[in-house]
Amino acid sequence: MKTRILTFNVARRAAALWLGGSIFLAAGARAELKWEQSVVEVHPAAGDKQAVAHFKYENTGKAPIHFKSVKASCGCTTTQSQKETVNPGEKGEIIASLNIGDRTGQQVKTVTVQTDDPNPTQATTILTLKANITPPMEIKPTFVYWTSGEAPKTKTVSLRAAKEFPVKDLTVKSNSQNFESKLVPGKPGEWTLEVTPKDTSHTMGTALLIQTDYPKEAPKSFYVNAQVTNPQPPPFLRAPAGQAAAPPAGAKAQPAAKAATPAAIPSPATH
Amino acid sequence: MNLRAVGESFVIAALACLPAVGEGFYFRSKVSWQSPIPASELVTVEQARGWGDGAIWVDARPDDEFARDHVPGAFSLNEDRWNELLPQFLPNWSPDKKVVVYCSAQTCNAARDVAKRLRDEAQLQNVFVLQGGWEEWQKRK
Repeated sequence: MKTRILTFNVARRAAALWLGGSIFLAAGARAELKWEQSVVEVHPAAGDKQAVAHFKYENTGKAPIHFKSVKASCGCTTTQSQKETVNPGEKGEIIASLNIGDRTGQQVKTVTVQTDDPNPTQATTILTLKANITPPMEIKPTFVYWTSGEAPKTKTVSLRAAKEFPVKDLTVKSNSQNFESKLVPGKPGEWTLEVTPKDTSHTMGTALLIQTDYPKEAPKSFYVNAQVTNPQPPPFLRAPAGQAAAPPAGAKAQPAAKAATPAAIPSPATH
Repeated sequence: MNLRAVGESFVIAALACLPAVGEGFYFRSKVSWQSPIPASELVTVEQARGWGDGAIWVDARPDDEFARDHVPGAFSLNEDRWNELLPQFLPNWSPDKKVVVYCSAQTCNAARDVAKRLRDEAQLQNVFVLQGGWEEWQKRK
């Protein structure tokens, strides 16, 4: 009985010691590298090439801190650490840049920062860059298709300019003679693009180049893709996962049609 | 006595859990395993391989990473050059194909973004994101 009580008391003291130690460790390390903001939201203007976020920090502790690594997600974001060692009381920043490229909508990129902070919960910080990229033109859908043999009916695409993008006129250009395209103006800043294939007997494709009249010195280019694709194979030719398709007795399997090579993508005129 | 011991043990265990609960609450938005992709839009390497020719692979990583190595037969389609690369990919697509998009690893979100654009803007169906991305593909080569 005595042994049991003794064991219990030892266990209780050990647990209390561990708990106290954890709290002490957390309290001691709390005030080391302080970040002004770990999430930065940016709104790049139309035409900007990069979205840039500044993550400011300060060493509020009593010992120097060293950066062990600064890694950006997916390689899309580049980071710049101005110093490798941050002395007590020193301030600095990490700059995260996102190449906008052809991105649209909300982009969320992260930068993982690792330091030699003795507290493991403080040693790793995840910085988040949120960029809201408004596309100058909203195009829906950006792809229209017909399956081979389908009636060559006209398909429509809606185009709408963003409020801050005062485009008045659009032009459409294609390098393929196999598709007809026509722009029908609607309300100010809105158009409907009508696309019709000349025939759908074989696979073919084109990229229609849409150009704006704004800004005058560097008009914007957008693409709408049109395609006549292979027909969907009959159910008996559609293989379940991991199995080769077997045609029913008497049926002759057709070789798959070659994918249509698109006509060269029209290049925007240089200005 | 036994009842008291059990009670004290319970209290100690509860106290010991407090830091973990606090940390979980503090870092609730930074949990790496919280995937924003619904399970129905994810596919494993084995499943995607099982689709054979019925799958069309899309590499959402930047150009230099694609140039270094990629899934055999994959098409490069990233958001840096979306307008240029999409017309090169679409002629190889047909309605019966399943599109498998991947980026570097489980933690990257380029595959999710490219898959979303293929669904929303190009209005393609059967677009999936590869679980674990390129990292997982290499492990199971």
